[in-house]
Amino acid sequence: MGPIIVVVEMQSDAMSPASAELLSRARQLARAQSTRVVALGFGEAARGALGSSGADDAFLAAGADAYVPTQAEAALRQVLQETAAGLVLLPNTTMGMDLGAATAAAEGRPMVAYATSLAAVEGGAFKATSQVYGGKLVAEVAVPEGSVVTVLPGSWPADEAVSGTTPVRDLVVAGESPMELVRTIEPDTGDVDITRADVLVSVGRGIQDPDNLELADELAEALGAVVSCSRPVVDAGWLPRARQVGKSGQTVKPKLYLALGISGAPEHLQGMKDSEIIVAINSDPTAPIFEVAHYGATCDILELMPILTERLGGAD
Amino acid sequence: MRIAVLVKDVPDLVEELELDESGRGLAVDDLSYVPSEWDDQALEEALLLKEASGAHVSAVALDTGDVDNMLYTALAKGADRAVKLVGDYDRTLPGRQRARILADYLAGAGYDLVMTGVQAVDDLDGQIAGLLGGMLGWPHASVVRDVAVDSGAVRFVQEYAGGRMAEFRSSTPLVLGVQAAKKPPRYVPIARIRQVSRSAALEEVEAGGSPSESLAAIERLYRPEAQGHATMWDGDAEQVAAALVALLDEQHLRS
Amino acid sequence: MTLRTMLMAATIVVALASVGVFSVRGRAIWTVLRRTRPVVRWDRIGERLLSVGTQVFGHRRMVRIPLSGILHYFIFSGFVVLLLDIVGTIGQVFRPGFGIGPWLSLAVDVWVALVLVGVLMAVYNRAVLRPARFHGSDERDAYMILVLIAIIVVGIVVHESFYPVVAASFFHVADPSLKSEFLGNGLYHVWQNLGWTTPTAGLVGYTVGYLMDIGVVFAFLAYLPYSKHFHILLAVPNIFFRNLRPIGELVESPPDETMAIRSFDDMRWKDVLDLFTCTECGRCQDVCPAYAAGQPLSPKMVILDLRDRLVSDWGRSEADAPPLAGGAVSREALWACTTCGACQQACPVFIEHVPKIAGLRAALLEDGDVDPAAQKVLVAWERQGNSFGQPARKRPEWAKGLEFPIRDARKEPVDWLWFVGDFAALDPRAREMTPVVGELLHRAGVDFGILYEAEVNSGNDALRIGEYGLFETLAQKNLKVLEKATFQRVFTTDPHSLNALKNEYRKFGFDKPVFHYTEAFLALIQEGRLPVSPVPIRATYHDPCYLGRWNHITEAPRELLRVLGVDLREMPRHGEQSFCCGAGGGRIWMDESGIVERPANQRIREALALPGITHFVVACPKDVSMFHAAATALGVDDRLRVTDVTELLAAAVGLRATPLPAAMAMGASE
Repeated sequence: MGPIIVVVEMQSDAMSPASAELLSRARQLARAQSTRVVALGFGEAARGALGSSGADDAFLAAGADAYVPTQAEAALRQVLQETAAGLVLLPNTTMGMDLGAATAAAEGRPMVAYATSLAAVEGGAFKATSQVYGGKLVAEVAVPEGSVVTVLPGSWPADEAVSGTTPVRDLVVAGESPMELVRTIEPDTGDVDITRADVLVSVGRGIQDPDNLELADELAEALGAVVSCSRPVVDAGWLPRARQVGKSGQTVKPKLYLALGISGAPEHLQGMKDSEIIVAINSDPTAPIFEVAHYGATCDILELMPILTERLGGAD
Repeated sequence: MRIAVLVKDVPDLVEELELDESGRGLAVDDLSYVPSEWDDQALEEALLLKEASGAHVSAVALDTGDVDNMLYTALAKGADRAVKLVGDYDRTLPGRQRARILADYLAGAGYDLVMTGVQAVDDLDGQIAGLLGGMLGWPHASVVRDVAVDSGAVRFVQEYAGGRMAEFRSSTPLVLGVQAAKKPPRYVPIARIRQVSRSAALEEVEAGGSPSESLAAIERLYRPEAQGHATMWDGDAEQVAAALVALLDEQHLRS
Repeated sequence: MTLRTMLMAATIVVALASVGVFSVRGRAIWTVLRRTRPVVRWDRIGERLLSVGTQVFGHRRMVRIPLSGILHYFIFSGFVVLLLDIVGTIGQVFRPGFGIGPWLSLAVDVWVALVLVGVLMAVYNRAVLRPARFHGSDERDAYMILVLIAIIVVGIVVHESFYPVVAASFFHVADPSLKSEFLGNGLYHVWQNLGWTTPTAGLVGYTVGYLMDIGVVFAFLAYLPYSKHFHILLAVPNIFFRNLRPIGELVESPPDETMAIRSFDDMRWKDVLDLFTCTECGRCQDVCPAYAAGQPLSPKMVILDLRDRLVSDWGRSEADAPPLAGGAVSREALWACTTCGACQQACPVFIEHVPKIAGLRAALLEDGDVDPAAQKVLVAWERQGNSFGQPARKRPEWAKGLEFPIRDARKEPVDWLWFVGDFAALDPRAREMTPVVGELLHRAGVDFGILYEAEVNSGNDALRIGEYGLFETLAQKNLKVLEKATFQRVFTTDPHSLNALKNEYRKFGFDKPVFHYTEAFLALIQEGRLPVSPVPIRATYHDPCYLGRWNHITEAPRELLRVLGVDLREMPRHGEQSFCCGAGGGRIWMDESGIVERPANQRIREALALPGITHFVVACPKDVSMFHAAATALGVDDRLRVTDVTELLAAAVGLRATPLPAAMAMGASE
């Protein structure tokens, strides 16, 4: 079968952890299917990362110095046409959502999103499991040769060390881009950096009302913790974006992650499941958050927070 | 600016998701359905664009079941037009085929901007925005917010992990997968929806049968094993608080 | 020209001018009234007349504030007597020798004195006592009226006192001496001593007195419709046209398109009449929990702001004029309302505030202007049928731990159909009591059943948020199963559900009797079906708004507590004058910004002021949640136990131990 293409994503001048995870799995799968791994990166900054990616080959579309969805898609399609790829792997991030489905549709390839595992089966095909329905169900999917698969970050560990140098070939993408980058916006770190906290008191939809954030603040103070949250709280304008944990927010690994009223959508779990200890309180006992939490309870968080604060000797 | 907002309904995750006998799909007739929350965001963003710059907004849904109410709701919220693509399909229609039917319609419908939810809870075979971009050969972007019309072109912001973002400007036609609108989706009273359903008509467009598409087949659908399940603390808030404090002490996490 | 001709001419000119000025405004109001929505208020004439009797001549609501009630009675009754004086005074000018007789003349003078006393009391009240309820009222108008009244009654005495002079010199009356007009007579003697009984002095004095009286009366008449004093003409019809249907019914019949009030045309004619009847007394403001909590809502200002807006353009708003909802009345004020109804209950002229507020809310809602948390609840009601957004299958889960199965009223006939309600079924704290209610019914041998997951929220709060369509959707879902089920009566612990089932579902033809659990358990105990032993605690009882005020059920819970041996002490505000917990009308889900002190906290303080109270007894699942939070927030939960009636019943029949506050429980174990 044709090579396994891995689209590499950069994160502040280094390869993103999700990309490294994909490359590790791609090398295993390539060995199983006796094929090669070809990496594709965008922008000059990716050249170094591609060289030490452990892939057999690499393409660099260095035309634009930053990621532009249309240009990246043109580059990926060019690589696919040149290499007759047997499998295309992308992280299920913004980039993966941009490129995965579009490339699959344009090239007539099957597509599987939200994969959390991927294994080779006999005859050049693969089998994936994906999280669907907000993580409430798992789908086991037969992945035919040539498919495009986007994989949720953190689905498997990355290899510690990669030896050897990968030759990097420059890719010239022809044509005008209908889309141009206006500016990049660096994260608003706000008043606190939630990625540095040892303990996070993280609130979700279950907080119900912005006034109840006071309870979380008091608890955090009593715990010496920082308040973070899930996406709905930010979208409602109750907390600044800098406090958001998850796919479009921060990835955190505190010693204790106290999830209050967070149901645990896959996008949220992505940002916190590697925390050392996770305690989840949510009224719905079937909430996916309990799948990753170490300890859980279904009591009322609005009742729990003041009691806990008091027990910890904080404000009454 | 002519905007199409693609809306669909998905199983309500609040309810138990029943599987069908084959174990490969959902028991679609036994589920309750709600509008996909990201589509709601896309619709809201489109309506805000209309209010800001006078765009013409059409809500478009594929008739896989009971979509009329969703379309009337869009009209009641302020959409100018509602289009129902009718044909012989039901709720089991895979996303990839859904995208093809939509693409065939959109190709000749004269829209400048197509907006839809960045994802849906059931888009295992690819997000609609990306699929449409690929099928139509139009530029597209996912995880988008802050959409604005800028002299015939469209500006928008794309979100990345870690809170980074980038602003782009694109010519039209364009497909955007919207993550969040500038404001939470508006409420529309039921009486208003009923009123609209009496006074306004849905435009029905014959959209043909199910097209063939290359698909990855679901072999099994199941609830995640409870192996990694949390140790549950029973009892009321007092008891849970006691357990938590004990854990903090054990882990030396009390400040 | 003689004095008589001059006075007659003046009287006719002033009267015509007065009627002219009056009718300008009168016509404008009539034009607005004719465009409004219909409502039937001509039925049950007997009851209406009786109500006018007790409220107008009996001053029943007025005397709840004694000083104001008495001073108003002096002035009000003075107006009745004033009519006699007007007849007599104009009569004696137009027909020399005319008189109303000694007894009526005596009455006039007695009331002149009473009115003056009343006016002095009113000035004392406004200037010295300065009750907060007047805040926001037009003080200038109030004093203006008091001055006018004083001028009129003083004028009466003045023209009386000069009457003997002019009657003899100008009117040629045989015996013009004053008989029973003791004030006028007294003053006449003063004039005699001063030597002011010459024809000229009489002419001047009588003319001045006549104009102070009759002239000012007509000026007053012209001023009336431009002032809060219009109530002297409108209070009687407004009380006559009061709502005699069950007051818990917010919407009488399904609205054509919408219940939203966007213009005055969308109001019922009675609503417009209300606006002009308002006396600005502020009793509504005084009892409003939102106002007391520091929120920007005063029911009085809602009425006055609407009236001022109506008067500014007579309902012919330009397209760019600010809307009524969110303009004339701010959105914050509208969403602050708990729909507790205390304002309507306090209003001496029976203004209906809540339907106006609900209609204005509906207009806000149509524009998508609703609190985000409340919006989530509206969506949850629509999708899951409960405010908690929980799947329907969770609704009957509270029944799982019971040792006996609860009948499924959808499948078999039952005697009592228990409508459980959202909070009793799903609120973590309130639902602890729900199985106990089941056990109590079971123990009393009641044949009862529930609708399991087919029950949805009653829609009571949805309607009060202004979402009629959602209310109707929920009601129809319930009615669909209720109509199929066989039962004799509905039983519920939830006053909000009770109100909807009893009052709001009538318009869809539902007419089964609905009982609150306090009524039902009282009956069971009295019938001997549930033997109880005394629960010797000292407690106060909080009347839920939707039980006491909106449904007049105040005695059954008290009798039940007495039967249980509870030493019941009343808070100052109790019965139909209870003070809202702050949860009604959807407030329980809304943003609390702007609240200085929650109504529930104020209420707990009110209870704490009673000596030796250990229990705060509630009879509403929402109250359990609200007052628990309040007692905890105030840090008094160790000495004041918020207790549902169910807990006391359970203790009385031996199902549970008597619930005690922590401080007492510790004492008991020592």
